[in-house]
Amino acid sequence: MKREGSPFKGVMTVALKEAADHMTSARMHLIMLLVLLTAIGAVYGAINHIRDTTSEDPFLFLKLFTTAQQPLPSFASFLGFLLPLVAIALGFDAINGEYGRRTMSRLLAQPIYRDALLFGKFLGALLVIAIALLTLWLLMTGLGILFLGLPPSGPELVRSIAYLAATLVYAGVWLALAMAFSTLIRSAATAALAALALWLILSVFWSMIAPLVAGAISPVDPYNPMTLLSNFETQQVIARISPQTLYGEVSSMLLDPSNRSVGPIFMSQLQGALINAPLPTMQSLTIIWPQISGLFAAMVLLFTLAYTVFQRQEVRA
Amino acid sequence: MIRISHSQSRAKSPAKSLARVLAVMLPISAAVQLATGAPSLAQDMQNQDLKGFWLTTPYPELALRPGEKENIQLTLKNADIPPQRAELQVTGIPDGWDWALEGGGREVTAAMVQPNASERLMLKVTPPAASADKSFPIKVTAHYGNDVTTLPMTLKVSSTAAGGVKLTPQLPALRGTAKSTFTYKLKVANNGAEDALFNLAAQVPDGFQTRFKQGYGSEEITGLPVKAGATADLTVEVVPPHSVEAGRYPIKVAVADGENVANTDLSLEVTGQPEISMQGPQGRLSGSAVAGKDTNFSFTVTNTGSAPVSDIALRASTPQGWKVSYEPKSIPMLAPDAKQEVNVSIHPSEKAIAGDYMLNLTASSGAASDTEKFRVTVETSTIWGLAGLGVIAASVIVLGVSVTRYGRR
Repeated sequence: MKREGSPFKGVMTVALKEAADHMTSARMHLIMLLVLLTAIGAVYGAINHIRDTTSEDPFLFLKLFTTAQQPLPSFASFLGFLLPLVAIALGFDAINGEYGRRTMSRLLAQPIYRDALLFGKFLGALLVIAIALLTLWLLMTGLGILFLGLPPSGPELVRSIAYLAATLVYAGVWLALAMAFSTLIRSAATAALAALALWLILSVFWSMIAPLVAGAISPVDPYNPMTLLSNFETQQVIARISPQTLYGEVSSMLLDPSNRSVGPIFMSQLQGALINAPLPTMQSLTIIWPQISGLFAAMVLLFTLAYTVFQRQEVRA
Repeated sequence: MIRISHSQSRAKSPAKSLARVLAVMLPISAAVQLATGAPSLAQDMQNQDLKGFWLTTPYPELALRPGEKENIQLTLKNADIPPQRAELQVTGIPDGWDWALEGGGREVTAAMVQPNASERLMLKVTPPAASADKSFPIKVTAHYGNDVTTLPMTLKVSSTAAGGVKLTPQLPALRGTAKSTFTYKLKVANNGAEDALFNLAAQVPDGFQTRFKQGYGSEEITGLPVKAGATADLTVEVVPPHSVEAGRYPIKVAVADGENVANTDLSLEVTGQPEISMQGPQGRLSGSAVAGKDTNFSFTVTNTGSAPVSDIALRASTPQGWKVSYEPKSIPMLAPDAKQEVNVSIHPSEKAIAGDYMLNLTASSGAASDTEKFRVTVETSTIWGLAGLGVIAASVIVLGVSVTRYGRR
């Protein structure tokens, strides 16, 4: 039986209700507390470090995101590590939780399509993450203005907003992944474990797996320097399967204007180049655009997977 | 003093102490007299047989320059005769000459000469500026007692005679560019009878700067002291303004003390200097270009010098793999203040990474050259951006297809 009318009718109702539920849930409170504390710690350390060591920098504000003071890592790497956790926490029981609570039939008895339910759940969680990220970003900016005593310049603002958007897409990838697991696996605990396992592999162990696989695909011949290059390129391609790598490249290009490339650079390309000259913002965005669009496409495809599986599922259980 | 205070402390009877003081002092004053008299006694021993009264001068015949004051030194000498009062008289000085006889700084007509002493007198003579070259016999007479001593002299007026001061340049004509410092070496000779401090002055065209230095010294001076009969080295440095046109410029240098003036003419020749300046579009020092594509910039080559430049070659030093071509490739001739637009086509290497690169663009001829550092911001092509959009579009299409395919109630 084909549906009649728009499949998106009622999406906003579901999304807003979902967002409100997340906002008041103890799970969300705990995990946001963790993120906030670590973020404030990282920024505070960065501010102290900047005040102690930096005399002048045209992009001082962006340094807030990337400066790390031992033992704390920088704000950007904190986000790269902890945001998947937030997204998984919001998405791991999106569908199978409804089955577990036996509320799915009741929910779908309302005049909404299944499409709207899944879209709404995804958008609701994404909205919560967006609100949390915006809060964090404003907090950072405020702390920076308060402690460094200078407002961010135009290019810094553009770069940090682009970084905020890319971070949201990155969180969306993990959210879509967690929702895909929650549709595929009936048990919420198993889905959460599967998502967490994948997160651990991709963010912690992937940097060890990539060279291993690259060595097997294109081995290094010590007498042929070109194999070294192809090995490196293979390694980079494999590493970029992990959203963590893509996100790391995005944040390093956007937050450090003197970064000029994410790939290997030859000496001949550096001849005559002015090292440390900042790149125009649009150029940084152009260079990193493939990574951003890759993240976005991954998010959409993972969601499509969840959608397809959910549409074909028997819901009257 | 010590002796006096000593005697005062014991002054019991004043008469007795005074006598003692006198007794002590008298031998001392006698000894002082003996001591000062000793050299004159020795001199007299040599000229023992000379006795009498003379009027002398070192140079009884001398040349004068018209219009210049000359000091002639006269000496009255008394040998072994009692003090003499000498009435002085100068005769034979032509009418219209300025003259005076001075002793101790005042005009005198008589002098008193002690035994075995001499008295210096100064005869100051100024021939009028218009007087012809001619010799004049003059006579100075001194009447003393019943005797007369005469000093005949000949004053020769000569316009070529060595004056009080003379200024001689070693190299009077110099040549150089507008940026050179022209250094003239001059000799100042003081031929006068007295030490003199000369004021220095130079007359130069507008905008030229002059500096006076002594010999090879580094201090700038405005006055130069020269001893009588000596010479001193003087250095005059002339700095023309940088914008001066090529040509020959006269320079006049003068030295003067109160009475004498000497000047000399110098010549300074500025040769033309070609100079090239290369400027980016609207004076900018940077521009942007896309990797692997030609971008055109309009540069301007200007001759900012004062001489024409020929055969200007246009070159560039670039990073590896870059191409820079000029249109026109060279400039055959550029007159002073003339401009030439040059189209510079910059082709960054295909593999250039985004960001700033520095190029050196050079315009050079044999005589002049200029290098412009031009900063090129390389932009990467937007093809990959479109590809990224394509990826996103593809994924959205997949989603759309699945939404329509699996749409159910």
